[in-house]
Amino acid sequence: MSFYKLICTIMITGGLLLSAGCGDNLFPSGEDKRPAVQAGSSGGNVSQKVPDFAVADITGATVTLASSLAGKKGAVFYFTMWCPICDSHMSNMRSTITPLFPDVNFYLVDYVSGSVSGAAGAASANGYSGGVFVTLADVNHTLENNFQGTMGTTVVVDNTGIIRLNEDFRDGTRLQATLAALP
Amino acid sequence: MRTHLISIVLAAVLGAAAACIPNSSQAASCCGGGSAASLSVPKYAVAVADLSFDTELYDGYWDQKGSHRPDPPESDLKQFRLNVGLGYRFAKDWQASISLPYVWNDNTYSGTSSRSDGLGDTTVSISYDLLDDKSSWKIYEAKDLIPAITVGMSLLIPTGISPYDDKNSSFDITGRGFYRLDGMLLVEKSLRPWNMSLSLAYGTYFDRSVNREYGKYVEPYTKGLGDRFTASASAGYTFIYGTGGDSITTTASYAYLNEGNASYNGIQASDSGFDKQSLGIAAAYSSTDHNWGLRLGWNHAIQQNGWGHNFPTTDVVSVGVRYVFL
Repeated sequence: MSFYKLICTIMITGGLLLSAGCGDNLFPSGEDKRPAVQAGSSGGNVSQKVPDFAVADITGATVTLASSLAGKKGAVFYFTMWCPICDSHMSNMRSTITPLFPDVNFYLVDYVSGSVSGAAGAASANGYSGGVFVTLADVNHTLENNFQGTMGTTVVVDNTGIIRLNEDFRDGTRLQATLAALP
Repeated sequence: MRTHLISIVLAAVLGAAAACIPNSSQAASCCGGGSAASLSVPKYAVAVADLSFDTELYDGYWDQKGSHRPDPPESDLKQFRLNVGLGYRFAKDWQASISLPYVWNDNTYSGTSSRSDGLGDTTVSISYDLLDDKSSWKIYEAKDLIPAITVGMSLLIPTGISPYDDKNSSFDITGRGFYRLDGMLLVEKSLRPWNMSLSLAYGTYFDRSVNREYGKYVEPYTKGLGDRFTASASAGYTFIYGTGGDSITTTASYAYLNEGNASYNGIQASDSGFDKQSLGIAAAYSSTDHNWGLRLGWNHAIQQNGWGHNFPTTDVVSVGVRYVFL
């Protein structure tokens, strides 16, 4: 095969691949495309009401929506797969946010370990056993499905069960502002 | 703004062998990074076509404080990359190249598993041979010490699947989602049969709008990633065997990677940057006529405290084949 023929083949193939699968990254959009949802309806979006759930924490105790909110202004659910990005987020929350909001429960949602003992082991190995966080073993992916959660997803639920925030963790500023605005 | 402009200028002027330097694109499903194969057209050639396959195995990470942490029990996290590259020398001292990876993610935890694939981020580059190495067997005079110096620029194009695409899971990610401009400098010296190299690269990402995260539309904002600096040094020895001139070059290398903090709407997120040190060994076979080359490499992140921060520790095994068009 001549070199020029090779170039043409690669360029055509590359062009087809690029046009087929580049998503929105080549030309990012800043348009607000959040779907309109009915406030108070059941769902995982902001302003919707969280469907009830029952998930074990790493001590084996069952945590429900009601118990997570009992006597508190709200609850934070952070989805972790025990990775470095997760660690930086959790470390940030532990040092700068949790001390400011003693009237909020903070949960780490382990959606990858598959068992209570596995989640307990991962929390311990990563230095998040005990303290201000309660680690939940989302063995049946209940919370993952409810909130469409993945690595870094941060959800704030107020004490009426309404979602106030559901997005990727950033620098903690929005989380802090959302918690400060809880009634 | 001024800082960003300075970064772009610095990236633009630092210069160098774009395709010759490991170019971590952090394409893994969580946050790991791999290395694109080097792609340099020899002075005597017109072009190079390169095909390589990387296997990246994840095994823990360094946390914020530099302590090494294990992955969850019974987890098995891998990424495979098939890299297609083409380099073309369009003038005596100028060359251009493109590298296009295809990525497979294969992640297994005790509670979930995921397999996905897609195009990774593409790198296009251009470089200029500032000085040529008058390689010699012995040093007779000062000019014999002159190394080859190449400067260049490369552009990372976000052709991969990023967190801002319509994908619900972080396991599906094959790219960063950002353009990045790198300026690079490569210094090489051969004193046959020895050779050594030093490469430096400085890259700056272009801020972008984000209106979706892992498939969920969110309130739009502007995100930036921190500037990236990489440095690597290597030393090698070439064995000539047989009477035909076939050779095998063995190389040992050290690499350092640092990326600054990300920003949201212009405000830096502290502790979101990372750094990593790694060691590598490689062996490359070159045929007598230098048309064909084969290589095998291993890059290892040291799983000890203090060798990195906020980054996965991985092993990357690479095999590659190259054809040089004369």
